[in-house]
Amino acid sequence: MLIPDKKGYFGDFGGKFMPETLFSCLDELGHFYAKIKNNKKFKEEFTFYLKEYAGRPTLLYFAKNLSKNLRMKIYLKREDLLHTGAHKINNSLGQALLAHHMGKKRIIAETGAGQHGVSAATVARLFNFQCDVYMGEEDIRRQRMNVFRMKTLGARVIPVKSGSKTLKDACNEAMRDWVTNVRNTYYLIGSTFGSHPYPMIVRDFQSVIGKEAKRQILNKEKRLPDYLIACVGGGSNAMGLFYPFYKDKRTKMIGVEAGGINRNLNSASLNFGKPGVLHGAKTYILQDKFGQVKATHSVAAGLDYPGVGPEHSFYKESGRAKYVTINDKEAVEGFKMLSELEGIIPALESAHAIAYLKKLAKKAKGSLTVVCLSGRGDKDLEIVQECIDKTLNSKS
Amino acid sequence: MKNMITLKEKFSQLKKQNKKAFIAYIPFGFPTIKFTKGIILTLQKAGVDIIELGIPFSDPIADGPIIQEATSIALSRGANTTKLFALLRSLKKDIKIPIVFMTYYNPVFKFGVDKFFNNMNKAGASGILTVDLPIDESKEYLKSARKSNIKTIFFVTPVTPKLRAKAITKASGGFIYYISVTGTTGMRNISYASIAKHLKEIKKMSKLPVCIGFGIHSRKQVKEVSRISDGAIIGSAIVKFIKENHAKRNFLNKLEKYVKALKSKDRN
Repeated sequence: MLIPDKKGYFGDFGGKFMPETLFSCLDELGHFYAKIKNNKKFKEEFTFYLKEYAGRPTLLYFAKNLSKNLRMKIYLKREDLLHTGAHKINNSLGQALLAHHMGKKRIIAETGAGQHGVSAATVARLFNFQCDVYMGEEDIRRQRMNVFRMKTLGARVIPVKSGSKTLKDACNEAMRDWVTNVRNTYYLIGSTFGSHPYPMIVRDFQSVIGKEAKRQILNKEKRLPDYLIACVGGGSNAMGLFYPFYKDKRTKMIGVEAGGINRNLNSASLNFGKPGVLHGAKTYILQDKFGQVKATHSVAAGLDYPGVGPEHSFYKESGRAKYVTINDKEAVEGFKMLSELEGIIPALESAHAIAYLKKLAKKAKGSLTVVCLSGRGDKDLEIVQECIDKTLNSKS
Repeated sequence: MKNMITLKEKFSQLKKQNKKAFIAYIPFGFPTIKFTKGIILTLQKAGVDIIELGIPFSDPIADGPIIQEATSIALSRGANTTKLFALLRSLKKDIKIPIVFMTYYNPVFKFGVDKFFNNMNKAGASGILTVDLPIDESKEYLKSARKSNIKTIFFVTPVTPKLRAKAITKASGGFIYYISVTGTTGMRNISYASIAKHLKEIKKMSKLPVCIGFGIHSRKQVKEVSRISDGAIIGSAIVKFIKENHAKRNFLNKLEKYVKALKSKDRN
């Protein structure tokens, strides 16, 4: 099976639901990518930057204390150790190379937690692009440190004041910019969402995570894992880990969505959403009965998005992966648990995946599990402190 | 009693009178649903040829700030597709000019494409433009629309290649919407010379009327656009007028005067 198909569909999901103005440019990108992706020089170039600039391969670390505590065998895929502190750099390097070879001079990006924004700003310096990053005002407030980083890297951070002022609105604004400046601008999408060919391109660039993990676990354990666990917002770190294991049917995949505060206020599109069309793709989205996209919430800005990559919708429908939720409170507990047991501070996004281990441990004692630790938690310290203060206050 | 006329009848009427279409866009439910009713009837009275009724959507990626704000206000006051159909059904006797919908795909998809077109038909609407539904994704949509006799209007843009433009004209009904600039909706300058050249090519591909939208906000632009195409579509400028004047006394009279002035051939 070829996924996606020629029209950009993963089963029933995906496609190209974009304004007409963007068509030639999506076509151009699709053709260019098809031509270059198996080009030996391009592959070598990409591998070079992943290794020499980003710091790959990342470690597959056996989390001894965590494993003992939960009575499982847990390995962490340490994407948090990459340059810029998250898996986002894999995709940004790949797409920057594409844009560079396409002769584009300007890149734009959307960002939630700021991790993709930082990685886009970073590659913009490396390849000398002008770089504008759209970021919701609410996210700018809660991820100040990443805003400073982007500005230090010479990117313009454009605050988005519309809607919920988070990732979704940043995407809207980036698409408006793109539709206006389509002739000279490359849109460096940060996750496996958007119109075809983006979900495929981002997946391909991120699949280095799963390819390495597979090799490493076979090396260490001489067998494939029972479980793969990753957090899912747009879904790029999860798809990066899952995809190379797609055919290994005995390895179960679990995507962890942001359960937010409750059933009505969360970012768990696959758990609580319905199929719809948003930002260029048919996929699960959180919407009301009239097809209006609902407000979302997650303590992790990078998961705070009402849609999800179409390939995840396909994995859900076909049963290849299971999608669960971890709420804000549990995620903060996961954040603390990993910090305290392993001396590793995870990003709040990744903390969702960590927190789920506690639930999995109840039914899968002894299982061999690989978790994608997609990013480091420095950016989230203020938020977590706020959460802890709040809990203390409400108790006293 | 004669109901709404079709897009085809409208354009042939205009042709006989040696006139070009003046198409006005308004978002449904802005500033309130009650206003929409008065505004539709006023636009008709002011001599608007076709009304493009926008369905508010939470994430309007092809719209500029004016329409974004208006549609978000409409949504916050409860505008939805069910109420839109109800309003149009209640106005069926009073509306004589064609109504077309301008929408994003998700509200249609969620409603059920077949059911949506069926409801449009019952409400007397003539055509539909779906901003983020390109011809490549429109197979079922086209089938459904035909069944309910709804014309599917698609977009051609300044960056649409020739071959693709041809395919677009084939899928189109009613008229073809030519987007004047790459960008979102909103008021700006447009370059007539390059558009005129492109339009000539498109006219060779199809007999359908071609109307121009995006950016048009002055009488002078309406005149220029009408000279090189079959009609002008004015959106943001009217929305801005509604926003600034709806709370004033005699708002509908003011709106009528404003639209008549935009349409007027005489003064410059």
